[in-house]
Amino acid sequence: MKIQHNLAGIENLGEIDFQKRVFVVPWEERIFGIHVAMMALSNHLDKDSVPDYSISSVPTTFDSFWSWGHLRMGAEGINPFDYFKFRYYEKWLGGISGFFIEEGYITEEELDAKTALYLEDGNLDNAPLPDKSEPAIDAQVIKYLREGDSPQRDVKVRPKFSVGDKIRVKSITPTDHTRLPSNLQGKVGTIDVAYPAPYTYFFPTTDGLGKPMPVYNVKFEATELWGELAEPNNVYYNDLFETYLEKAKR
Amino acid sequence: MTKYDGFNYDRDREIYSAARVRALESLLIEKGIISGETVDKVLNYFETEMGPFNGAKIVAKAWTDPKFKAQLLKDCNAAVSNIGLPVGMSGAEGEHMKVVENTAEVHNIVICTLCSCYPWPTLGLPPYWFKDPTFRARAAREPRAVLTEFGVDLPAETTISLWDSSAQIRWFVLPKRPEGTEGMSEEELAALVTPEAMMGVALVPSPSAA
Repeated sequence: MKIQHNLAGIENLGEIDFQKRVFVVPWEERIFGIHVAMMALSNHLDKDSVPDYSISSVPTTFDSFWSWGHLRMGAEGINPFDYFKFRYYEKWLGGISGFFIEEGYITEEELDAKTALYLEDGNLDNAPLPDKSEPAIDAQVIKYLREGDSPQRDVKVRPKFSVGDKIRVKSITPTDHTRLPSNLQGKVGTIDVAYPAPYTYFFPTTDGLGKPMPVYNVKFEATELWGELAEPNNVYYNDLFETYLEKAKR
Repeated sequence: MTKYDGFNYDRDREIYSAARVRALESLLIEKGIISGETVDKVLNYFETEMGPFNGAKIVAKAWTDPKFKAQLLKDCNAAVSNIGLPVGMSGAEGEHMKVVENTAEVHNIVICTLCSCYPWPTLGLPPYWFKDPTFRARAAREPRAVLTEFGVDLPAETTISLWDSSAQIRWFVLPKRPEGTEGMSEEELAALVTPEAMMGVALVPSPSAA
């Protein structure tokens, strides 16, 4: 079991910080923007995307595959006790820096050295960003934001389940990255919606994602999920990929 | 039990992160991965074009136009593509959106227990409470207790429906139109709608109660 996959229902956490801001310190905006740029410049957009982006003609030196799956796998790979010590965008900063080092775009030494330089001065205002313009990169990033990267695929697949069917969520071995909340494993629900077209997940996972497949909206009674800890008058719905579901015997 | 103090780190930790991200961005620009303006352009897009102000307009229109509301609940992307909002309502993280309606019988809450899936074109970027592991853990099992903590008390007979986002659909809530808003314009109505109401953790307050 991996705690990151199994957050739902953890007890004794105390009051929630009802913080309505999106970013709580300015540096967080920058790492968010870098992530969006990576999504928009990812080389998978060249061949497997709707719409078709001509990424190879965009004048960026980035030539890697980057998707939500990559970012999420980073956060899901952190030691689970450390996961809760980092703020949201601190995890992004760690994962994204690590990716650029691993892929050979930068070295850890040059990142450390530049960080140290800024820390020594103590005032980032004295160190403006390089003044390097490349409108074609920016145009692709905004184009991606406006046109998206739809995972829906127009291929024929025969759905295994129909509306009203009882399903049981499979029990799967913990993986590097999953789109199945672990607390649902073994639980019985009802197919509420069978989405008309299959969806792919760009990042292949060892638990079965990566090819277009049917997705269902599945309804679970709260008592099925939480037993006597369930609140009254509560139902839970989730969109689940078909690979996670099997026919229920009861 | 003490409140999780995840948002208040000491100054040194913030200064380190700020220097680290500046170092990273500088290197990416120097090496031709992004331009010196890329990040600013992304942030500007969410400040000026894609934010919760779009969702608020959609909600206000649904409250005043039954035909639009029916279409919104049936096919959100088609409904919002042609009502004068910025180009890109089916763009990144909004490719496949669905809307659920709050009624006297059912109150809906949108969550993402695995990460922070959120409909960017209509609601902008997710606020911190939505991304907070404490919220993700608690809302899944005790939504009514969480609502009470957030100041929302619903009648015991109201069903709470939770919409978790583990696949490719992005959800938001059409809140209930508050009492005392008869005769208000769409613009005035939109000003009452918050991101929290469109995720189901707040109600839209009646203007007379303000």
